[in-house]
Amino acid sequence: MKRERKIEKKRKQAGTALLIAIFALLLISVVGIALLVSTGVDTALAGNYRTSTGAYYGALAGLEEARGRLLWKNPDYINKTSSYSNLLNPLGVPTWGLTQVLYITNPGPGETVDPTSTVPANYPDAEYGQEFSWGLGGAAVNKITSVSAVPSASLPGPSYKWVRINAVTEQSLSVDVNGDGQLDGAALLFYDPAHVNASYNSAPGLVLTSAPSPTPPPSSTAVQALEITALAVLPNGSQKMLQYVVAPLIVSAQVSSNSVTPQPAPSGASFPAALTLAGNGVSYTGPQTSSFVINGQDQCAANNLYYSIGYTNNSDGPGIVQAVTQPAPGTTNDYQGYPASGPGTPPPPTTGTTTIANVSPTPATGLIPPSWLTPASLDSLAQDITRSADVVIDGVTNRPAHGSNLPTAMSANTPMTVVVNGDLDLTRWHGTGYGLLLVTGTLTYDPDATWEGIVLVIGQGTFVSTRGGFGGFDGAVFLAKTRDTSDNLLPSLGATSFSQTGSHGNFGRGINYNSCWISGNPASPVTLGVQGPLVYGPLSYKVLSFREITQQ
Amino acid sequence: MKAEAQNRDRRGFSILELLVAMAIFLAICGAMFELLRMSQEKYSGETQLSAAYQDSRLAMDQIVRDFNVGGYPPADMFSVLPASMSQYAITPVAWSPGYTAVPPNPCSVGTGGVGTPCMTPGDYDLIIETRIPADATDTTVKWVWYHLDQPSFTLYREVVVKTTNDPLSEVQAGNSQTPFLKNVMNSPGSQMSQITANYPAMFPRGQPQPIFQYTCDTPGGPRPCSQAGSNNSPKSIRDVDVTLIVMTPQQDLQTQGLKLVELFGRGHRSNPAN
Repeated sequence: MKRERKIEKKRKQAGTALLIAIFALLLISVVGIALLVSTGVDTALAGNYRTSTGAYYGALAGLEEARGRLLWKNPDYINKTSSYSNLLNPLGVPTWGLTQVLYITNPGPGETVDPTSTVPANYPDAEYGQEFSWGLGGAAVNKITSVSAVPSASLPGPSYKWVRINAVTEQSLSVDVNGDGQLDGAALLFYDPAHVNASYNSAPGLVLTSAPSPTPPPSSTAVQALEITALAVLPNGSQKMLQYVVAPLIVSAQVSSNSVTPQPAPSGASFPAALTLAGNGVSYTGPQTSSFVINGQDQCAANNLYYSIGYTNNSDGPGIVQAVTQPAPGTTNDYQGYPASGPGTPPPPTTGTTTIANVSPTPATGLIPPSWLTPASLDSLAQDITRSADVVIDGVTNRPAHGSNLPTAMSANTPMTVVVNGDLDLTRWHGTGYGLLLVTGTLTYDPDATWEGIVLVIGQGTFVSTRGGFGGFDGAVFLAKTRDTSDNLLPSLGATSFSQTGSHGNFGRGINYNSCWISGNPASPVTLGVQGPLVYGPLSYKVLSFREITQQ
Repeated sequence: MKAEAQNRDRRGFSILELLVAMAIFLAICGAMFELLRMSQEKYSGETQLSAAYQDSRLAMDQIVRDFNVGGYPPADMFSVLPASMSQYAITPVAWSPGYTAVPPNPCSVGTGGVGTPCMTPGDYDLIIETRIPADATDTTVKWVWYHLDQPSFTLYREVVVKTTNDPLSEVQAGNSQTPFLKNVMNSPGSQMSQITANYPAMFPRGQPQPIFQYTCDTPGGPRPCSQAGSNNSPKSIRDVDVTLIVMTPQQDLQTQGLKLVELFGRGHRSNPAN
């Protein structure tokens, strides 16, 4: 009986091992889960960091697409088919109205993107209403689709949903541009690279038009500023909104706010002289042959006269005049242009030293804005041009870039912006260049070469030519010494140097002012065998400011 | 017979059996607790490491965001500059000395420049001049000062409203000494040898690793500021490479070694310097 009880007791204890085993398993599981959780936290952190960066770059991609597509030479130019000629004129210059809005939408697979809707799933644009009191309901909205989208399951494309391009006001930026203590919501903002402050110092900046809009630009050098806003949303809901303010970079429009004659400035007026020597203590050695002309009569609009040679420091005038008359008497008729003696109705072209003048005498009659007369601002312009150049060639002092290094694809219809960092030697190069040439070192010119457009020698500001030839410049040539020989920026412009000593066999054309080649004004046929019209719009859209918008 | 059997039943365990059983039990328990202790230490170490990662990532995100929007609103957004310095930014990256010189006469960043060496920006010092996007209603421009206090290995972020044109004095005066990121070991001092023993690749040639390394715009394209010659100036800074080497608050309990994380980030400014 007792034995039976014992057996029974043993039977009662039979489940203990199981309990212990379960307990042990439980313990191990807890430890295991704790380890798993710690690893999980780490993974989640990595994920969060990625999405923040991903949304930022997604929005930036949207901004850059819009900025790129505003440019006339982009294959995906917004106004390629002239459908948006109310937003961008035939030269590719923006003419946005106050309430005009253009969206570039970029929906993901199976998505609808409609910034004007109020449905959260369609990515509504709540920011526009914050910036403009009339909201999207009062705006003229156009929508186009992104060209960068490659929506597929495996390759979702950039994560931005829409990009908005519109005109800018003080209120939209919440910046008091003119310092009147008020945020104007109706006056369009333009960007004037030649703007000056009260002390007549260069102060490029946004300027207001007078309301109501549309209004003409506040000055001949001002171009419209645009606002580009992009929203990026990642699949996990992480979002970012970024905004650019951009303005077209048009070099020819920056130079002059006053033209020589007639007044007011004719369309396309910009450089005050065929050859401008900006600097202090400039060195000038004139052509030794009468077939190298420096001609300020506009070859594109003959009634418009400019100086043949412009300088910017009064004390340099006599030296240039002496160089023109002294070494080779009888060659003074190489200098044609506007008679410096007086304004008025267009005079007949004048020859001789009277066409050589100071182009920055006083603020009232200055033909070159201060932004073209300081090393820092010219250097900044050179950097802007370099950033938007089609081709940048690095030349070094010992081994300059040669004409053969220039791009061969240039033509009258495909002008290019070519930057040579360093020296450029055109000796024995018989080609023709079109567009804008910027040389930061010495330009060694062989008159067999031709350049149709603008030639800027900004940096060392040295132009050397020792040969004769059959070519020439049609447009304008501008020289400025902004850096010393060690490449340091000078405090004020230095001794710019021009020398043309080809003594024989020169049948070339020299330097002929030509507003068509300078500005791309398609109105008039071009003389002297040069073809036109030339559409030569903005070089690029310069980013004036960048900010992140915190969404409410 | 019966009594014998009964005795055998009641006999229990011998002392030897008990000792052996207890020894086995203790060994198992010991091993179990050792495992638990190890996993506890591991957990604690990993938690600290993730905390270090998290802190450095947040710090990196903030630095990069501040730098990206540096210089807003630039002076070229105005036709008439506001009378108050706090309404516009002169430059994305402020500098000292020479900030007050008119026209601005920047110093040189680190080595390789032609001007006076900068006190800021430097390897462990950066002042960004901008509106802070998070404060949508606050339109004043701030100095955002990042600086490493080397003795305490603490990175500080100070935000001071810009009221004068002397960035360094102003941020130093407004210094609230609130730590932004602790245990930043980019310049580890005497702990260098201990760290390089565990992390040989972290400090190339045993040299301190700058937090901020700058790239300057030059006519020939962006270059490290130290190679930019006359373009070596805070006004030319386009990009900043940020390296954060952060140590956990405690040493590794298992190996007694130092535990560090290293993060890289890059900021790119888009606003112009005037």
